[in-house]
Amino acid sequence: MTGTPLLALDLFVNGLIIGLFYALMAVGLTMIFGILKIVNFAHGEFYMIGAYTYTLISLGLGVSPWLALPVAAASGALLGWATERWLMRPLYTGYGSWGLMKDEYAVVVTFGLSLLLINLVDKVVGPYPVRGPALSDVTRVALGPFMLSGQKLITAGVAIVLLIGLALFIKRSLWGRQVQAVAQNRLGASIAGIDTARATSIIFMASGVLAALAGALLAPIINPAPDVGIFPAVKSYVIVVIGGMGSIPGSIVAALALGVLESFGAVYLSYDYRDTFGLVLLILVLLFRPQGLFGERAREV
Amino acid sequence: MKRLFRFALTAAAGAFAASTYAADPIVIGVSIAQSPPGSVVQGTQVKDGVDIVVKMLNDKGGVLGRPLKVVYEDNQGIPEKGRAATEKLITRDKVVAVTGGHQSSVCLAEIEVAHRYKTPYVNTNCWSDDVRAKGYPEVFNPGNYNTRVSSAMAETIAALKVKSVIAFAENTDYGIGQAKLLGEFLKKAAPQTDYKYVALDRAGKDFTPAVLPLRANPPDLVVNIMLPPAAYILMNQLYEQGVAPSAKTAFYDGAGIADYPDFWQNVKEAGKYMLAFGLYHPAMPMPALGKEVGEIYQKQAKTEPNRLIFQAADSVLLIARAIEQAKSTDPAAMIKALQGMQFEGTRGKFSFSREPGYRFQQWVDIPYVTYQLTEVNQPVSKTTLIQVPGQPLQIDKVLRPAK
Repeated sequence: MTGTPLLALDLFVNGLIIGLFYALMAVGLTMIFGILKIVNFAHGEFYMIGAYTYTLISLGLGVSPWLALPVAAASGALLGWATERWLMRPLYTGYGSWGLMKDEYAVVVTFGLSLLLINLVDKVVGPYPVRGPALSDVTRVALGPFMLSGQKLITAGVAIVLLIGLALFIKRSLWGRQVQAVAQNRLGASIAGIDTARATSIIFMASGVLAALAGALLAPIINPAPDVGIFPAVKSYVIVVIGGMGSIPGSIVAALALGVLESFGAVYLSYDYRDTFGLVLLILVLLFRPQGLFGERAREV
Repeated sequence: MKRLFRFALTAAAGAFAASTYAADPIVIGVSIAQSPPGSVVQGTQVKDGVDIVVKMLNDKGGVLGRPLKVVYEDNQGIPEKGRAATEKLITRDKVVAVTGGHQSSVCLAEIEVAHRYKTPYVNTNCWSDDVRAKGYPEVFNPGNYNTRVSSAMAETIAALKVKSVIAFAENTDYGIGQAKLLGEFLKKAAPQTDYKYVALDRAGKDFTPAVLPLRANPPDLVVNIMLPPAAYILMNQLYEQGVAPSAKTAFYDGAGIADYPDFWQNVKEAGKYMLAFGLYHPAMPMPALGKEVGEIYQKQAKTEPNRLIFQAADSVLLIARAIEQAKSTDPAAMIKALQGMQFEGTRGKFSFSREPGYRFQQWVDIPYVTYQLTEVNQPVSKTTLIQVPGQPLQIDKVLRPAK
C-alpha cells in the first residue's frame, strides 16, 4: 500500500477508535439530559474519578488492573448515585418553594461539584499526572498495516461491548423500559406506577459507570491529572448537541463522526484547528438541523 | 525618682518598639501554579526550592536581622490570574519583590504589573525571550532562555548530521518561540537540514493524527518542545506508532523534562534513548551552596533534585543579596543593587548583562548539559553525558535502538 492510502486508512481507524472513547463519555451525558433535561457539568470529573480509582487501586494496592477496572466502574456508579441522591433530587421532588430555576440550579450545582472534585483530587492525591497500569503489556501491536498499543485495542473492544450492552439494557430490560418511559413523560410514568426517582438514579449510575470506565480504560494513555476530565467533557457537550440532545444513537454516531473528522482534518487541513472542526460542525447543525442529527423537534402544549 | 522611673519606662518601651520593628519580616511574593491547568509539577518544584532556601536564610538570622516571609499565590498557569496575583502581592501583601514565575505566558502578564509598580521581579523559569526583550529594569533573569536552548540544540543537531527534523511545540509563547528560534539557528548551523515544526495543544490528550503522517515518511529526528503532561502523551504515542525513538528516528527533548520526578512513571519505554537538553546534572560542577541545597532536597523528597529547585533557590537568594547590598527594601535601591551585583548562588557565579534584547538583565552564559537516557527508570546521575558545560559534544556516545 502506498503512503497516502495507508495514511488515510490509518487516520480512519484511529478516528473511529477516538470516536469510541468520545462515545463512552457522550452517551452518559445524553442519557442524563434525556431524563432530566439538564446538562451535568461534572461529567468530566466522573471520568477523572474513574481514571484515578483504577490507577490508585491498581498501583497502590498492587492488584491486577483487570480487578481495578470493576472497582473504577463501581466508583463511577457510587458518584452517580450520590450526585443524583443529594444534589439532583431537589429538581423534581418538591423543592419548588426554593424559588430556583431548574436550569440555573443544575448549572450551579454540577459546575460546583466539578470544581470541588478537581481541587479535592489535586490536594488529596496530588497535582502530578499518574500513568495508569496497562491491561496489556504489549506496547505495540501491528494489525496488518495498523499500529496500535495493546491497551488501545482492549479499550476499543471494551467500549464496543459496553455500548452494545447499554443499548440492550435500555431496549430489553424492565429498568431500561422504565427509564425510557420516564424520559418520555415523567408525570405519566409516575401515574403508571413507575418509580421515577429510581429510574433517574439508575441513569446517573449508568452514566457514572460509562464515564468512569472510559477514564479507567484510557488511564494508561492519557496520564490522568486532576483536570483530565475537562477536555473529554467539552467534546461530549459538542457531540450531544450534534447527535440530538437525549438521543443515544445520535451521540454514538456523532462521536464516531467527530473522531474521524478530527483525525482527517488535523492532517489534511490543519492540526492547529483540530478542535475547531467539531465546533464548525456544531454551528452547521444548529443552523440547518437545530434538533441535532437524531433529535426530534420538541413540541409543547 | 519618679522622673527616673518614667525615663526608664520610656527607654524600655522604645527598645521594645525597636526590637519589634527589627523582627518585622521581609515579605517576598511567589506566584506559581498550584492547581490546574498550570504546570503544577513545576510550581511544586519551585515552592520546594523557595522553602529550602528561605529556611536556610532564616536559620542564619534572616536578612538585615529580619526574617524572610513568603506569600504564595496560585496563578493556575493562567496569565490573567498571574496578573491579579502580582497586583495583590504588591498592593495588599506589600511584598518587596515578586518571583517564582515558571510559565512564559504568565510571566509576560506579571512583569507588566511589576513594571507599573516599579517592583523587582526575579524570573525563575520563564524561557520566552520576550520576557527579556521588553527591557523592563525591574525584571531579572537568572534562569534559562529560549535562545540559549535553541542554539545549543542546533549545535547538537548539526553534530548528529541529520537530514530531516520535525519539532512538536506546545502552542504557547514558550513553545512557538523556541520552535521558531530553533529553525533560525538550524539555518546557520545545519543549512542542509530540512526542518519544520507542528504546534500542538498543550491541553491535548491525543496527538496520533500529528504522529501518523510520520510513519510513512519518518524524519531523522523528532524534537520535543512541550511540557508535561502533554509531552508524556506525545512521547508515548510516538513510541506506540513506532516512530521514535527508533533505529531511523532519534528523539531529542528540548523542554528539560527528563529530570521531572514523574517522568519515568509516565513514559517508561518511550523515554529510553531520549536525548535531553538539561540545566542540571549531578556531574556538573556546582558551588558548595548548590550542593547543600541539593542534599537538603534529596533528604526530604527522597529523589534527585532538578534544575527548578536551584533556580527557585537562586531567585530568593538574589532578592536577599539585593536587600543586603542596598541595606534597604526600597525597590529602586534593590534594582540598582541587582544591576551591579556579582552574584554567587547555587549554580555558579554571574552578573546580569545590560545588553538590550533577549540578553537584557539575563545570566547569559547559563550552564547546560546534553545527555542521553539509556535505560528505563534511569536516574539523571546515571545517564550518559554527551556534552559537559563548556566542553565539545561527544556525539559518538549517542546510542540508537536496534529497531
